[in-house]
Amino acid sequence: MVRRRTVQTAAFRLGYGTMFLLLVAPLVVLITTSFAGSTSFQFPPQEFSLQWYAEFVQSQTWLTAVKNSIIVGTGTIILSTSLSLLAAFGVRQSDVEWVSRLVPVTLMPLFLPPVVLGVALLSFFGSYNLHQTYGSIIVAHALWATPISFLIIQSVMTQVNWGLQDAALDLGAPPLKTKFEVIFPQIRQGLFASALIAFIISLQEFIMALFLSGQNTRTIPVLAWTAISQMLDPIVNVVSTLLITLVVIALVLSAFSIGLNRLARQL
Amino acid sequence: MAPTDHTSTLSALETVRERVYRPELLVAPLVIFELAFFVVPLLMLVRVSLFEQTTSGAYVAGTFTLANYQEVLFSSHFQEILFFSFKFAVLVTAIATLLSVFFAYAIWRADGMLKNALLFIVVVTLLTTLVVRLFSILIILSPNGPFNQLLVAIQVLREPTLLVTNLFGATVGQVYTIFPYTVLSIYSVLSILDWTKVEAARDLGATELKSFREVVLPQITSGILVGAVISFAWSFGAYAAPFLLGSTSQDTAAMEVYRLMVTRFNWPLATALSFVVLMVVLASVSLLFFVMDDNLGEAYGA
Repeated sequence: MVRRRTVQTAAFRLGYGTMFLLLVAPLVVLITTSFAGSTSFQFPPQEFSLQWYAEFVQSQTWLTAVKNSIIVGTGTIILSTSLSLLAAFGVRQSDVEWVSRLVPVTLMPLFLPPVVLGVALLSFFGSYNLHQTYGSIIVAHALWATPISFLIIQSVMTQVNWGLQDAALDLGAPPLKTKFEVIFPQIRQGLFASALIAFIISLQEFIMALFLSGQNTRTIPVLAWTAISQMLDPIVNVVSTLLITLVVIALVLSAFSIGLNRLARQL
Repeated sequence: MAPTDHTSTLSALETVRERVYRPELLVAPLVIFELAFFVVPLLMLVRVSLFEQTTSGAYVAGTFTLANYQEVLFSSHFQEILFFSFKFAVLVTAIATLLSVFFAYAIWRADGMLKNALLFIVVVTLLTTLVVRLFSILIILSPNGPFNQLLVAIQVLREPTLLVTNLFGATVGQVYTIFPYTVLSIYSVLSILDWTKVEAARDLGATELKSFREVVLPQITSGILVGAVISFAWSFGAYAAPFLLGSTSQDTAAMEVYRLMVTRFNWPLATALSFVVLMVVLASVSLLFFVMDDNLGEAYGA
C-alpha cells in the first residue's frame, strides 16, 4: 500500500512537472531566439546579438502597430471599466430580479468563436463603412473585456465595508461624494487590476482585429500574424519577447493588488 | 427665506432624487452596449446571410434568398469542412479536458511557491497573444527544431520528421490555445472545494487516485463541463492553429469563413456558414446549461 502510494505520488509529480515544462518551453524558445545573431530559426541559436531589436525600433510599420495597440487598449480600458463599474454598482444596489441575471448574459460573447464575432461585427460596421476604425476594434475588444472586468470589480465589491457608506450618508454627505471618498479607495486596487486585464485582453486579441482592422489600424498581433503567415520574420521574436515581458509585469502588478488566486478565478 | 423653508426644499429634493434614482439605471449603459454591439451585429449577420451573392460588391441589398444556406448545408465541399471541424473539435476537447483536469488538480494540491508558479504560467499563457504562442509551436516542431532534435537524440526517431502542416500540428496548436481556459474553468470550481473531505477519505485509507475519483471528481463536474464546452465551441470555430500548423487540404469552417469574407468578398456565403457554426456552438452551450441545471437540481433538491 505504501509503495503504491509512493509510485502514484511520483507519477503525479512527473506528470505535472512535464506539463509545466511544456508550458514554459514555448516562451523560453521565443525569448532566446529573439537574441539570435542570424536569420535561421535554430534553437539554441549559434550566436547572440541585438540586431533584431535594432531593426524593430527602426521599423515604421512595427512602431505604427505599437501605437495602434496602445490606442485600442486604452480605449478598451475606458469603455469596459466604466461600463462594468456602473453595472457592478447597479447589480449591487438593485433588488430587481432580472438585473442579477445580467451577468451570465454578458458572458455570452466569450463563448462564441472569435471568427463568428468578427464576421458579425464586420457585417455590422462594414455596412456603415465604420470598419477599419479604432472604434470598431475597441468595441470588439470591450465585448470580451467587459464581462471579465465586471467579475473582478464585483468580487472586490463583496469586500467593501458598506457600513461606512451608510454612515457617511447618515452624516449628510452627498451620495456622489460618498462614492468617491468612501467607496472608491476601497475598490481602487480592484479597478487597477481590471483595467490592466482589459488592456492585456485587447493587446492579445487578434482574430476580431484581423477582420476589423485596416492598413492603418493594424494592431501588434495582427501585423505579427501577417508577418508569420507570409514568411518567418525574426522581428516577430522580438515583439513576442516584449509582449511576454509586458504580460508578466502586468500580471505581477495585478496579482499584487488583488491576489493571483483571486485573479485566476475571475478569468 | 426662512431656514425652515430651506431645509424643507432640500428634503423635498431628496425625495425627488430617491424617486428618480433607480439602481437599475446604472446597468443601462451595459445593456445598451450589449444590445447595440452584440445582439444587433448578430442580427445583421443573419440578414446578410439571406442576401443574394454578387461578384461586384459584398452582397445585393434588399434581396431575400435561402440559396446560401442550401449551398452551405448540402454541397459536399461545405459538408466536408463542417464534418472535419466537428471531428477536430471533439478530438481537441477530449485531449484538452483530460490534461486540464490533471493540471488543475495539481495546482490545487500544491501550495506556497509551487502553487503560484503553476498558476502563474497558466495565466501568462492565457494572456500571451495566440499569434506569439502558435509561432513558438511552429519553431519548436519545425524539422530542425528542439522537439525533433530531442526525439532523434533519445532515438525515438531516426531522422527529423515534419510535425507541422498536418493534423498533429493543428491538434497540438489548438490544445495549447485552449488549455489555459479549460484549466482555469476547472480550477475556479476546485479552489472552493473543501480539502478536509479529501483528507478524510485518505485517512480512511483511500489512495490519491481513489480519493480523486470518488471525492473530488463529482464536485467539479460543472467546471469540467464549462471547460469542455468552451473548448468545443472555440475549436469548432478554430482559425489560427489549423491555418498555421494544420494541413493545407483540411480546412476548418472558420478558415473557410475568413477566406470567403475577406479574400473572396462573398459576404452572404461567409455569413451563412458563420450562422451554421454559431448554431452548433449555441446548441452545445444550451446543452451545457441544461445538464448543469439538472446537476444543480440534484445537488440541492435532494
